[in-house]
Order: sequence, then C-alpha cells, then structure tokens
Amino acid sequence: MITKEELRHATKALGREPTKTEIRMLDVLWSEHCSYKSSKRWFYLFKTTGEKVVLGIGEGAGLVDIGGGCYVGIAMESHNHPSQLDPYNGAATGVGGIIQDVISQGCKAVGLMNCLRFGHLEKPHNAHLLENIVRGISDYGNSVGIPVVGGEIEFDDSYDSNCLVNVVCIGHVKPEKVVRSSAKTPGHYLVMFGSTTGRDGIAGVSFASETFSDEEEENRGVVQIGDPLAKKVLIDTLTELIDEELMDGLQDVGGGGLASAAGELAQAGDTGVDIDIEKIPLREQDMDPSEIVISESQERMLAIVAPEKLERVILLLEKNDTPYAVIGKVTDDKHFTVKYEGEVLARLPISLLVEGFPVPERVEGKIPTQIESLSWFKEPEDYQRAVLSLLQSPNICDRSWVYSQYDQHVQTNTVVDLGQNAGVLEFPNGRLLAFTSDCNSFWCSLDPQSGAANSAAESLRNIVSMGARPLFIADCLNFGDPERPEAYAQFVESVRGLGRFSQDFNIPIIAGNVSLYNEAVVDGQSKRINPTPQIMMAGIFNQRFTPIKRELVTPWANIFLIGETFPDLNGSEFQRIALGEVKGEPPKYRPNWEKRSMNVILEAHERGFIRSCNNVGRGGVAVALMKMAMDSEYGFKLNMDYIPGTVNSLAQALFSETSSRYLVEVTESNQPEFLKIVDKYETTSCELGLTTSKPVADFSRFTIPMDKAREAFSGGLSKFLE
Amino acid sequence: MSIAVIRFPGTNNENDVLKALGQIPEANPYLVPSRKGSAGLEDADAVVIPGGFSYGDYLRAGAIASVEVIVEGIRDLAEDGKPILGISNGFQILTEMGLLPGALLPNQTARFICKWVYLKVNETNSIFTENLENAVLRLPVAHAEGNYYCTPEQHVALNDERRIPFRYCDVSGEITVDSNPDGSIENIAGIINQRGNVLGLMPHPERASRGILGSTDGLHVLENFVRATK
Repeated sequence: MITKEELRHATKALGREPTKTEIRMLDVLWSEHCSYKSSKRWFYLFKTTGEKVVLGIGEGAGLVDIGGGCYVGIAMESHNHPSQLDPYNGAATGVGGIIQDVISQGCKAVGLMNCLRFGHLEKPHNAHLLENIVRGISDYGNSVGIPVVGGEIEFDDSYDSNCLVNVVCIGHVKPEKVVRSSAKTPGHYLVMFGSTTGRDGIAGVSFASETFSDEEEENRGVVQIGDPLAKKVLIDTLTELIDEELMDGLQDVGGGGLASAAGELAQAGDTGVDIDIEKIPLREQDMDPSEIVISESQERMLAIVAPEKLERVILLLEKNDTPYAVIGKVTDDKHFTVKYEGEVLARLPISLLVEGFPVPERVEGKIPTQIESLSWFKEPEDYQRAVLSLLQSPNICDRSWVYSQYDQHVQTNTVVDLGQNAGVLEFPNGRLLAFTSDCNSFWCSLDPQSGAANSAAESLRNIVSMGARPLFIADCLNFGDPERPEAYAQFVESVRGLGRFSQDFNIPIIAGNVSLYNEAVVDGQSKRINPTPQIMMAGIFNQRFTPIKRELVTPWANIFLIGETFPDLNGSEFQRIALGEVKGEPPKYRPNWEKRSMNVILEAHERGFIRSCNNVGRGGVAVALMKMAMDSEYGFKLNMDYIPGTVNSLAQALFSETSSRYLVEVTESNQPEFLKIVDKYETTSCELGLTTSKPVADFSRFTIPMDKAREAFSGGLSKFLE
Repeated sequence: MSIAVIRFPGTNNENDVLKALGQIPEANPYLVPSRKGSAGLEDADAVVIPGGFSYGDYLRAGAIASVEVIVEGIRDLAEDGKPILGISNGFQILTEMGLLPGALLPNQTARFICKWVYLKVNETNSIFTENLENAVLRLPVAHAEGNYYCTPEQHVALNDERRIPFRYCDVSGEITVDSNPDGSIENIAGIINQRGNVLGLMPHPERASRGILGSTDGLHVLENFVRATK
C-alpha cells in the first residue's frame, strides 16, 4: 500500500489532500510493480540499444528488425503472486496479460513461453500448484491459438511459498503497422474495448508489491479471471483495427488498470486525459468509481482514435460484438481527470501520477563470500546409479508431462517442437528464429552476479548449439523484498551480472519485468526465493540453414567435447543430489572462453560439419550426452581417460558444470576441417568417442542400456503427478 | 473449387487451413465467419470446419457451435453430397450436429494432449483415402476431447461399412494401445458418414502440410478432399 511518506509527498505536490480516487490511483501507480521504484535505477547497466533494435524497454513489447519488412516483438512478465493464490486463474491470466502486451504494439502473437519454479513435488501442495498452473496456461494459450515454443522448470524448497510463473509472448508486425503506446494529439478520443469491467483484480499490483502473510486467503479476490474466448474475439477485432490503421495509440489495460493505461499513454504523448467513468460498461453492480479506475479485469484495451476515424472504429467493434465505450478525450492540460456524471473525482498531474513518486532509499547488503572447498566431494561407487539419479532429478528429467498439454503447432509455423535446446519458429519473411530460456537459481543463490551471467551464457549455448546467432534478450527478474538489504543485494548483483553479459556479448536486452517481494513469512520466519533472474534469448539462423537438433543422427561418427573442464562441482546438480543442498563457489563466468567456443560451433554449423549438437549444462557432460542418445536410435562408446582442463577423476569429468562447453557429432570425413576451426579460435577439443548403432551408453568404465536411462528420465516428474 | 472455411467465435485454426488449402492448385478456399449464416455458403462447393475452441468449448466441445444458424447450411450441403471435412473441434461439431455418429469424450488422461502421432489408413469407399490405402501417415494431434466413443451397434456399422479411414498406430503401422493418445475405441482417429462425403478427423492435416513443419502427409489428405469437390 502507499506509504505515509508517499502520501505526504503527494499532498505537498498537489497543495491539498488527495481524494479517495486519487489515493487509489497513486497507490497502484506508485506500487513497485508499476513504478519500478527500487529497480529502475540499475537498468543503465544493461545494453539496451543495437542496430536492429526498433523499440526497447518501456512499452508493451520490444521490437527488433529481422529484415524483409518484418519486426519481431517480445514481452516477458511475471504472474507469481496471483498464481500462488489461485494457480489456475493466476497462470491463465498471466498468459492473457502477456499476449495483450504484444498485440497492443500492433503485433500478431505467434508464440508463447513459460518459465516456472516450484517447491519439491513430494509436498502435495506443490504438485497441486504445478498441475493447476500448467492446466491454466494450457487452457488459455490453446484456446487463444498461440503455440508454446519454449519454457523451463526448476524445483527448490525456496519456492515453497512463492512459486514463480514467468511468461513470454512472441509476435511480429510489419513496420508500417506498429502501434505506439502514446496519446499525442489533444482532441482524440479514448476508446476502451474488449471486455466489461468488474471487481476482479482490484489493485492486484499493490498486492504483488508486498510479501505474503498468513492472511493470503483474503487476497483471492485480487486475482483476475481470464476469458480466452473473449481474448480470441478481441484479437480478431484488433487485427481488423490494425489492418485499417485506425488507431493513433494503443495500450493494454493490465496491471494498474485504466489509471495506469491512460496515465502512460498521456505521459508518452506529453498530454492529459479526461475520462467519464460512468461510460465504462460494467459486469458488476454498485462498483465504486474509484474501483472502476483501477480494476484489472482482463481482455480490455484502450485505443486513441482521431475524430474522423471514430465512426469506422465503432462500426468494426459493433460488427464483432466487442464490448466498448468512448470514455473520454485526450487533453492538453497534462492532467489525469476522472469524472463521474460530471463531478470531478480526481485531477492529478500526469507527471506526478506516472513517475512522480519519491525515490525510496534502498540498502544493498553484502553477499556472503563462498568459502566451501571441494572436500565434500567423493567419487561415487556406482557410476551408473549416479547418472540415473541425475537423469531422474526433477531439475533435469523429461518435461513432456508438462509440455504435451500445450498446443505447439497451431498457426503452422513451428519448425522445432519443445524438448530441444530451443524452439524454432518460421516468420513471414521466411527467416527462422530460435527461442530459449534459462536460469540456474542454484548458481544465483551462491553468487548472484556470476550466476546471472552464466545463466545467460547457458541460453546463449542453447541458441548457438542449434546453429543460430544470438539476437536479443528479454528478462524477468524475480527476487525477495527490496526493503531488506540481503534481498536487495541479490537483485543488484544479478543485474550487474546480466548487464555484464549483455555488454560482453553485445546482445541487447529489449524487454523485461521485475517481480520483487517474493518472500513469505512462514511460522514467524521469513522465507525468500532463490534469486531468479530469468533470461529468455532469441537467435536467428542464416537463410536456408536447417536447425540442428541434439539427438545423434549417425552411427560411427565422432563425438567431440569443445572447451576445457574444471572441477566445477560446487553449485552443481550432482552436489545438490549428494548433499541435499548447494554450497561453495558456482562455475565461473568466462566470457572469453565462451566466445571462442561459440565461434567454433557457429562456423562449424555454417560449413555443415555438425550433425548433432548439445550444450553442456546442468548435470555436466554425462547428462548432455545421455540427452543426445536417448532421443535417438543410437548409443555411444567413450574413452574419458583424458579430458582437457584440470579434472582429476571420472566423476568430475562427467558431472562438472563448467561453462563454455559443447558436445558435437562430426562424421569422420569432416573431422580434419572441423579440427582446423577449433585451432583457428584457439580453443580446445577432445574426441570423447564414437556413436554406435547399439543403443547403449558405454562410458568404458561402466555402461547404461538406453531403455534403462529412458525409464529414469521419463519418470522424474510424472511419478508425482496425476 | 470454392471451399468455405468456417470460423465460429473461438475457432483458431482457420488461417492454418486456408494456408494449407491455398497450396493446392484449383482449391479456392475462403473464410466464412459463422455469423453470415447459410448465406455465407451460397457459393460453396465444399466446407471445412477447422479446429479451435468454438464458443470457448464452454458448454461441451462443439455443442454451442452445432446449434448456430450456419449449421443448417452445412447440413444442406452434406445432403447434396458436397464434401465436408471437420478437423479436431470441427469433428466434435460434426458429431454434435449428428452428421457423424458417436461422440468425442474427454481424453482418458483428462489432460489436453499435443504430440505427433502415426495414422494407419484403411481402405474406404470414400475419396478421402484414395492412393493412401494402407499408408502410415505422421500428423500432430492437439485436443482435450478426442476420445471417440459410440454405441456397439454404431461401432459394428462403422466397421462393416468400412467407415473408419484413420486409426492411431505406431511407427510401423501396428494398432497398439500405446499409440492411442486419447483412449478412442479401437484407436479411431477419424470416421466418415454413410455416403462417404463427410469426414471427421482428430489429427490436424493442415499442420503436416509443409516439409519444414516435419511432415507433408496431411497435404495428401487435403488434396483428396479438394479432388472430391470436382
């Protein structure tokens, strides 16, 4: 809720006490969720511009030019708090909201992604959350007809009381059809359309800007209810309005409701707005005008329409049976005026409402130094068991129980389905783009800066392993209470890490969202999520290049490991399984090595030397290799006696999570040329062994029949779920 | 050949079907929003009811769409012997309309399922399976209610009259329990009416209509459909 200090600040700025309606408007717009008042000051660390960036952070979606008269649009957002309270509706409306962000920029929505975090599934409540969140995403996204092309799930106790639901929507738009979120011209009309307004989601943003307490049940009414049919009809209507270029500005009515949508339009256009609140079609009786202004009911849009185009807009809205109302006008007085049957209920300067909050002081605590050595590490007695336990770990195993519930093929642009390193979509200009997401919150919990940078590097490797070049990043930064120094330090350090990565690799961050206050008081103790800087990355393929998947495709081909391996077992999944927790210094972020490996893989892809490729991530070389083999008809036979780097045991070589490494399948005839590329970029490689026609994983000192591996891998999640 | 592709509120595969049919020479597909009623079908030589969630599937998949005014126009065309194809939600609407027997119940898992499946083609008296007899096709499914059910009498009739053109199978064409994604009786993925001009199909041929999407097997089914309009 709005603080006493903020209220004093508002009173002083206005020269009078704010009215009830004004207080509610300020409350939502000055919430952390809408104002980014704790986070925005650090965004200068990000690389946000680039040759191809058309529109960066700030509006509904970021836009990037991919040539041939096509911009790709991207938006990413969290819906954590609502999903914890009401998993089905919270997740569904999260999807609804992110679609709205992308289409409000004039884009056609063509892809969705979702990144989820839960407590361990042994606890039935976590399984309940997962099942219902997935069903919410599935019901909504499938109904609206947008394919899911990527996503991620991770499990840790720290998410027990704060699950995370981060969603991404991908779109595209022709340059001339882009609609901006601004109200530039006084005298233009404000037209609200799409759905009626109710009490659902009143002040949801304020509630999302606080930590959970034991009274969370009372908050259920702040979760919005989604209506995918209304959304589909809204999208169809919007397509017609955009095609005929009838709107001068457009903003989706999401977090903060009309107060935020109209306020931001006026702020961007340096104008004001005058709104007659009684004109808004309602779905509930007896709503207080102050509730109408801040309601977050879904599937609503606010358009700016020139007087000469109003008649046509109304005709199209009526033809499609879309609920709408002309609710006011753009003014030149730079004020947000709310009237109810002629009576002025609020009149706030736009500059005060939108960005006039007093900047709060935040204290950055000290991140504890990790001093744990590798003394905990013991070579496992049974290697096969160690590999199988990794394959069935919920943080590694097969996710098809989840993603088979998402329509992946609607719109018929999906070139690579879920379950690979990245999903691939075809765009109208014929170009293929890869989309992936990553965050290793265990690394981030041990070292937020290198953890964030390395999570981004993992995304990069996912893109590169398929043969695409990185194009842009979107992020969703999920952290604890910024008013607590430790939590704030985690946030700032992660931003530094991600900022550093974006500068090092020259990849612009073009969209994002911050979700703070992800902590809960449980039995009098504060419980905070792992720092979770969720990263989504897109890459673009050269024309006529066929994306390379990770499954092995030929017997008797060579398998190479690119990059050096160090004993990076601290922070690894192997450690988490062995000790039940992670500790120590996680794998280092090594941008120079990362670039060298990337260049090797990209050039070898371009010259067609790579048959299959996987990046080495969670679970190390062992898991990366098994994933390549389990999806194929083949097996492999290795000799791991010598691995470049400093590991000194088989288990270290198998399970280390050192960054900048890839596994590639290269046929014998291409091997000399391939090795020349490795030399050219001064990186190291080693031939691990050969693919075989027998479906057995032969590590020479132990073997695993592929069926046994598949069984472990496929049962990891489903055994906890209905 | 004018092929009406119907869009009910909530239908969401209409553009995919238009795009796939557009690849076939002589097919002239055009969009008909359902609010146009039977008037929208005046020039139609054939009808496709694409997949999606007509009316949000709020009451029961396909139930609300099946009582819309335009449905009478579709029924008239079916009686004239014009080819009618219902895909996924379109199949559900055809059974709700009574143009095809049986019903599509919620999947046995009670969850939506999206995956690539294999289909074994059986010989029928219809044009839909021409040149595809005994082929194994690879197409994606995406549905929450695809569990085909009918009475034992209807089931016997479907078999006797060779009206089950498509069954779920494994990669080698064997009809197995594991290859059945939704629990349908006898792995049924599609059926035709007695006259052989109405086909209901749960998998999506339009999603397997270009090589880049991973299969062109669906295009063959659509080509047969277009040929039938002649």
